[in-house]
Amino acid sequence: MATTDAAAGKRRPRPLSPHLGIYKLTMTMAMSIAHRISGGALYIGVLLLAWFLIAASTDAATFSVFSAFIESIIGRLVLFGFTWALFHHLVGGIRHFIWDAGYGMDPPMRDQLAWATLIGGLALTLIAWSIGYAVR
Amino acid sequence: MADHPSGLRTPLARVRFLGSARSGTTEAWLIYLTSLALIPLTLGFVWLVLDLLHKDYNGVRETLERPLPSILLLAFILAGILHMEIGMRSIVVDYIHGPARAWALLANTCFSALLALACVYATLRIAFT
Repeated sequence: MATTDAAAGKRRPRPLSPHLGIYKLTMTMAMSIAHRISGGALYIGVLLLAWFLIAASTDAATFSVFSAFIESIIGRLVLFGFTWALFHHLVGGIRHFIWDAGYGMDPPMRDQLAWATLIGGLALTLIAWSIGYAVR
Repeated sequence: MADHPSGLRTPLARVRFLGSARSGTTEAWLIYLTSLALIPLTLGFVWLVLDLLHKDYNGVRETLERPLPSILLLAFILAGILHMEIGMRSIVVDYIHGPARAWALLANTCFSALLALACVYATLRIAFT
């Protein structure tokens, strides 16, 4: 079949240079794409902030619809995801500042910074939610 | 440009005399600027949300009518939405090719602008009514 492709006027796709698929996933790669994914999640998540502000600016009845959603299990899960994305992206941004300043690029340090992003983001999320549940 | 697709000209020769990039670093600069601003603003925003968490409608209104939460929210919204618009722009140019790219860039800017307007409008409405 491959030899008849040219005769049929079809062009075979040009060979591509090796891409992500062939490399072993490293922590820095994982945190790189996690930074994008968390940024994308926040992009959608800002709709939640807009909903909250518009509801609060309208009246008590409109606000109660938002309140009911955010207090539901699904609402809490969405808010937890938003919190994690927010803190993960924040800590990841600080990691990029450190790298852009020229520090922490050597082998042990860059992996430690990548791990610190994951652990720091999760830790800040859990701290914020602990405060949210503890302080009333 | 009448460059033959398999031309022997180097990439440098192909771009020479087309003009300097000039505003090429604007995006990068704005991402740095908004990132830096968003570090304290995000912490402030989380603190504000924790403060609002267990309040009812009247409590939320009373808090958001005060100047500091209002200004904090406005700064967070403006820096955050500018940051996310530029961020999504870089995702679009990385993954979307062909004519769809222009539409995606257009949609990104329109979505971000409308979201910013809606949030700013609502914040000001709470503050001034």
